[in-house]
Amino acid sequence: MESQHISMVIISVTACVLGLLLNKYINSTKCEDCDENWITLDIKGLEEDFTNKLFGQHIASEVIIKALKGSSSNPNSQKPLTMSLHGYSGTGKNFVSRLIAQNLYRKGLDSKYVHVFVSTLHFPHVQFIDKYQSNLQKWIHGNVSQCARSMFIFDEMDKMHPGLINAIKPFLDYSSDVDKVDYRKAIFIFLSNTGGDKISEFTLNVLMNGKERESIKLSQLEEELSSTVFNKSNSGFWQTALIQSNLIDHFIPFLPLEFKHVESCVRAEIASRGKRISESIVTTIASSMVYYPEEKLLSQKGCKTVASKVNLYF
Amino acid sequence: MEALLDQTRLVKLSGPGLKMDLENKLFGQHVAKQVVLKAVKGFLMNPNPKKPLTLSLHGWTGTGKNLISKIIAENIYRNGLESNYVHQFVSTLHFPHPEYLSQYKELLQKWIRGNVTLCGRSMFIFDEMDKMQAGLIDAIKPYLDYYDNIDGVVYRNAIFVFLSNAGGERITEITLDFWQKGNKREDIHLKDLESKVSLGVFNNKKSGFWHTSLIDKNLIDYFVPFLPLEYKHVRLCVREELKARGYEEDEHIMTEIANEMTYFPEKEKIYSDKGCKTVATKVDFYL
Repeated sequence: MESQHISMVIISVTACVLGLLLNKYINSTKCEDCDENWITLDIKGLEEDFTNKLFGQHIASEVIIKALKGSSSNPNSQKPLTMSLHGYSGTGKNFVSRLIAQNLYRKGLDSKYVHVFVSTLHFPHVQFIDKYQSNLQKWIHGNVSQCARSMFIFDEMDKMHPGLINAIKPFLDYSSDVDKVDYRKAIFIFLSNTGGDKISEFTLNVLMNGKERESIKLSQLEEELSSTVFNKSNSGFWQTALIQSNLIDHFIPFLPLEFKHVESCVRAEIASRGKRISESIVTTIASSMVYYPEEKLLSQKGCKTVASKVNLYF
Repeated sequence: MEALLDQTRLVKLSGPGLKMDLENKLFGQHVAKQVVLKAVKGFLMNPNPKKPLTLSLHGWTGTGKNLISKIIAENIYRNGLESNYVHQFVSTLHFPHPEYLSQYKELLQKWIRGNVTLCGRSMFIFDEMDKMQAGLIDAIKPYLDYYDNIDGVVYRNAIFVFLSNAGGERITEITLDFWQKGNKREDIHLKDLESKVSLGVFNNKKSGFWHTSLIDKNLIDYFVPFLPLEYKHVRLCVREELKARGYEEDEHIMTEIANEMTYFPEKEKIYSDKGCKTVATKVDFYL
């Protein structure tokens, strides 16, 4: 009698455990849905990520947090959130896109609702511009129909054909719906190097005058950029209807990085490999990067190649 | 399932093997040896690399660039250069006609995309980079960048190796300078060469890298310079060739062959014009 009792207990416990495991398995590989379970803005998480992982971009952190907070708390947004990130290579533009995606979609950049386009890769041949235009429009239309909270990231905007940009203009505009699809909950992010030199010049001036980097305000940069950059005709972006009709909600400049930021990147890289951080090694590695100008204030490559330099010291 | 088995059976770094091969088979390249060992080991031990490993090997002809690629391949892929996951392109052979640039671009992108989809740890070796059209490199640039994935394919575990002679003259100049100042060859460090070489390569119109976004975007992880070889290194190449053919070390043959090679500069005659090239054929003559 007792042994039967015991075996029943064992069986039921096993069944329970198996059931739990099965449930966990099913839930973790369950198909992603376009709902609150898979898409929720974790603004605290994003703020934390910006504080701990993003170095030297005080303007970008502030503006992006405000923009996302504002857009998510407004149930009647008039248009899709459109942000344009500019700056030199290695300053964190792709990185920031990734952080945004990770704090909005449970699957981050792997989410099927996040779409990344690299213009040199996806739209390489000028002669096929018409094909690209119609394909891109279909793609955006199709994906937003399936999930209103889709995110589109366009990298290498400065290499994109102006005609192609114009093709997506209608989606970014102030209208309640374009052919029966509501685009207003979508997010569009544009990344480019355009304006990087102006931003760098400005930052350098501020630093050389002994002022703090954090004293730079967005309005100062916007003014600098508007006259020069926005009229540069070899940048696919600028002479387009996007600028002229003010469809970009936020221009976000990425400043070139200083020595201390490179050090932070090195620390983060060493920590991510699970190794002990020794300040002397951090300084050595950061010093091996190339800085400009003569006074060696700014890193030429931002934080790019930090990982490879770390390899050489371990 | 098969692909998974393949990956664990056929693709695995042998750290000690790599070190040994670099010590025993590569002569006169103390900088390259060190950089490659650390770069490859570091990359393969990193569980989450942010971008594919991109090496750019530069230097005089016959100094070991192809050899080092072979050594890397042999210590990662069980079938070495013959592995299905290692792809070699020689620009003068695979992309000869400038008028077909668009086709080459498309084919190359498809090839890379297809192969990395099959095996994330694929290796791509591009030889004769200085003869490659500037536009073609731009086509693969996105794959070398810091992307999590592109259209669902992860390129971050792949390895790209670029070989060229570009910068060779600069490297030789610097090496010669060291020698003339009475310094030891082994005192030359990567930092003595790095910035001078990358600048020279970037601005040299004949180099495939000229003005491409590879340099602009800092997508090359490591510039690996190859120094010109001296008489003593040529002797070691001969010894290695004899060993590879199953013969004993023969001082006489080693000296004879090394003497037969031509050296530069005119006056000092320190560095072999062809590195270790033609040593193999000369050995034939003596056996």
